[in-house]
Amino acid sequence: MLFDFNVISQWLHGALTSVMPEWAAILTESILVALAIITLYAVFAIILIYMERKICAFFQCRLGPMRVGKWGLLQLFADVFKMLTKEIISMRQSDRFLHNLAPFLVVIASMLTFACLPWNKGAHILDFNVGVFFMLAASSIGVVGILLAGWSSNNKYSLIGAMRSGAQIISYELSIGLTMLTMMALTGTLQISEIVEQQYAEGWNIVRGHVPAVIAFLIYLIAGNAECNRGPFDLPESESELTAGYHTEYSGMHFGFYYLSEYLNLFITAGIATTIFLGGWAPLHIIGLDGFNGVMDYIPGIVWFVGKTLFVVFLLMWIRWTFPRLRIDQILALEWKYLVPISLVNLVVMAIVAAYGFHF
Amino acid sequence: MNLDIRTVAPENLREEMLRLRREQKMNFLETLTGMDWGEEGGLGVVYTLESTETGERAALKTATTDRENPMLPSVSDIWKIANIYEREVYDFYGIKFTGHPDMRRIFLREDWVGYPFRKDDEPEKENPLRMTNEPLADVTESYVLNPDGTVVKETHPIFEEGEYVVNIGPQHPSTHGVLHFRVSLDGEVIRKIDPVLGYIHRGVEKLNESLTYPQTLALTDRLDYLGAMQNRHALCLCIEQAMGIEVSDRVKVIRTIMDELQRIDSHILFFSCLCQDLGATTAFLYGFRDREKILDIFEETCGGRLILNYNTIGGVMADLHPNFVKRVKEFIPYMRKNLQEYFDIFINNVIARNRMDGVGILSLDDVISFGCTGGTGRASGWHNDVRKRMPYAAYDRVEFNEITRKEGDSFARLMIRMDEIKESLNIIEQLIDNIPDGPFQEKTKPIIKVPEGTYYTAVEGSRGEFGVFLESHGDKTPYRLHYRATGLPLVAVMDTACRGNLIADLITIGGTVDYVVPDIDR
Amino acid sequence: MKEDKTYLAGLFGGIKTLCVGLKTTMRELFTPKMTEQYPENRKELKMFDRFRGSLTMPHNENNEHKCVGCGLCQMACPNGTITVKSEFYETEDGKKKKRLVSYEYNLGSCMFCQLCVRACPHGAITFDQSFENAVFDRSKLVRKLNHEGSKLMETK
Repeated sequence: MLFDFNVISQWLHGALTSVMPEWAAILTESILVALAIITLYAVFAIILIYMERKICAFFQCRLGPMRVGKWGLLQLFADVFKMLTKEIISMRQSDRFLHNLAPFLVVIASMLTFACLPWNKGAHILDFNVGVFFMLAASSIGVVGILLAGWSSNNKYSLIGAMRSGAQIISYELSIGLTMLTMMALTGTLQISEIVEQQYAEGWNIVRGHVPAVIAFLIYLIAGNAECNRGPFDLPESESELTAGYHTEYSGMHFGFYYLSEYLNLFITAGIATTIFLGGWAPLHIIGLDGFNGVMDYIPGIVWFVGKTLFVVFLLMWIRWTFPRLRIDQILALEWKYLVPISLVNLVVMAIVAAYGFHF
Repeated sequence: MNLDIRTVAPENLREEMLRLRREQKMNFLETLTGMDWGEEGGLGVVYTLESTETGERAALKTATTDRENPMLPSVSDIWKIANIYEREVYDFYGIKFTGHPDMRRIFLREDWVGYPFRKDDEPEKENPLRMTNEPLADVTESYVLNPDGTVVKETHPIFEEGEYVVNIGPQHPSTHGVLHFRVSLDGEVIRKIDPVLGYIHRGVEKLNESLTYPQTLALTDRLDYLGAMQNRHALCLCIEQAMGIEVSDRVKVIRTIMDELQRIDSHILFFSCLCQDLGATTAFLYGFRDREKILDIFEETCGGRLILNYNTIGGVMADLHPNFVKRVKEFIPYMRKNLQEYFDIFINNVIARNRMDGVGILSLDDVISFGCTGGTGRASGWHNDVRKRMPYAAYDRVEFNEITRKEGDSFARLMIRMDEIKESLNIIEQLIDNIPDGPFQEKTKPIIKVPEGTYYTAVEGSRGEFGVFLESHGDKTPYRLHYRATGLPLVAVMDTACRGNLIADLITIGGTVDYVVPDIDR
Repeated sequence: MKEDKTYLAGLFGGIKTLCVGLKTTMRELFTPKMTEQYPENRKELKMFDRFRGSLTMPHNENNEHKCVGCGLCQMACPNGTITVKSEFYETEDGKKKKRLVSYEYNLGSCMFCQLCVRACPHGAITFDQSFENAVFDRSKLVRKLNHEGSKLMETK
């Protein structure tokens, strides 16, 4: 049977309440959870950056980092170290307060969203009845940070980059919202844990919802990629046009925050795709093969979740390292002329599928 | 070839030029070279013209003996490229062109004292190494000639008050070198571009005046580094023709093969950098992977990868390496196969097509008036291939097509290069199996002196007509050695090509017109 | 955007080209990699014979070179990279002859144009294949090419 994380959390709660009052126990738990999130956040950022550098290199007939450690495994630690020791330069004529605030907004937004991911059965940090809604809302705070960064830098490249980013993220939010809506029509709930439980019981949404779900999945991948400002939608920071776009003027760990959140947003986008479409922590089940399903259940949910997420991340990286960058008008045309109409039609189709029970 | 130069008095110049333009259809201003003929000859300009319709050529010169305040009439309204060429002459010789809209220095610093190409100027005396930033002019000057013969100086601002001007460069990933565009933007739309040149101006032409002929060769590789072979070929040809040296057939064929390899090398790099500029980093590395093969071939025979140092006066530096033929024969099918990959990953890609189709259209009139030779001109339907117009080396004995297109947009410019890679491979294939025997170096005198005269020789460089204008007074050093840079017209045309497009298009257009900065700045 | 295509044809045509691109990169993911791992591959790394690394004056096992100190290379050099110092001495039979004292070569200003090698009538200098020429101090780039105590090779 699949491992339930509630066992651990209840045991911990019990142990803590036995030595301290209820409020202190909850406080301690909160701190532990916060530390866990921050650690996970950093660990995944490092894993993803290493993964990106290697995958990118292999797509490009290169080897990628090889020097520091075996296969360059320690390269990222060296990079993080370098970034931590670098000076944070403050620009003359920049809006100092907003300039320093902006990177934190971006990190906060991605951490909040990060906290919504279902890691395992019973291991959700934020889980309530409007979970998906909250997740979408939290992820949109990031764009404020980007706009602020562009504005407060007092740099023309940054400003253009930030404006592009604003136009792009707000447009693509629409597609994300619509695809989520499509899937909510199928699941009938906004609570993330329930969405996954349901998929564990009845099969992954991408299979249950068949055609409209697959379309929604593809649109979500495109829009999610655009939300992360990653290629081919990386024009807010397109290095061949705007040198580095909105974070041109940042240095040291302030730049590091943008860098971290870019990769974490990638992970989060992939994680949400996993949760909504690919069954979250639910293992692969094939109807009729009970023995196989039993074996699959022995693999812990967290392995399933992270594995699937990294698979989606790989898909996104594959896309990034294949395609050229779009132009700002083309990005908006793609959204408004292609993705939004298709998502709307798809939503109607899904509504029919759900209402008449055409799904599996 | 030896130029047959007609002298025109400054006051008749405009009339004569307009007549040539209208009646003889001389629509291509090939070169415009400043000259200092000393106290008696005065400061002047040599123009070489060509008619793209009839192929007729003409060379004129005009001069003024006023060294204090030399003035000559401008032809910048007759040929658009004259605008930037005349600025160059003003920068080097201090000749003011009346009627020119924008008389600013172009390569040297704005605070430079004196005019270094004048034979009596001592640039080092007045110009110490300045440790301050170069101030960039916000206003430009023009000199208007009134009907009564007086000249009025006018000033105009380069950018209006309140324009949103963004600096693209000099440190920018997609200007392919230290090139600086001041771009006035309206949102994302480009309103005007003002190129600021000269960040790596090394005064190659000035240096040449104190170097012996063999020594001048060493600098040609450092102009357009992706056309090193062809640049050096042009200078060698010019000196050989002037001195009447006939090179062996073997040398001619070797030079042809090398030129074509260099062209493929340059076009691959063009493709790679365009991909990089448009964000397709993976395609960039595929191009570099294939270019490596050519560089290896070069290195084995010439000893260099970028600075090839191969042609010499009367031959080549060393005979072909024994492995050369084998390697080239391996390379031809390899390249043909990998060219398909370029199409798969980038050229046929819908995103790339949308970025390039219909972007930065240059009309046929514009490319001729701006003198944009090479692939950029041919993409707009201008048959300007020097290999066909004035065949040299072994080009008269091979069959190849001059690739032209009509669209004149960025995609056409890309496709011209891709098709030229195929043509170059065909040329090499025709020659590689029958390289004639013969000496690889003709005997020359130990000290090379070019007979007195003015010569002009052009070859088809990687990105257009690379010309060498040589005036010799019979010494062992040239009196004036001017290169017709292939890149300068391409930068001059950027303003026309980019207006009304987006910033992202500036990058696309800059990538596809394919300039190389050391060639522009010289 | 191509106007002559319909909405759907454009959409599916576009998706097809994207898939071709994805197929290409996926194929390249498994091809052998081009990276040369310098300096780990120092042993296998062999430069081409004609590569111009830095100027050298070959000496034979008796510490003899071929340079007569004529200075033609110095005259041929466009950059003033070479300084040849020579002296006159009297041979046993009373003739005055020139002999090389020091041959200084400044790698820092050399542009590898090979004019010196071509100018040399005795083949005394040549370019070698060394390319690891980085030093911390510019003065170290000035090299003396003739070895200590070397002398002219006797011509037969």
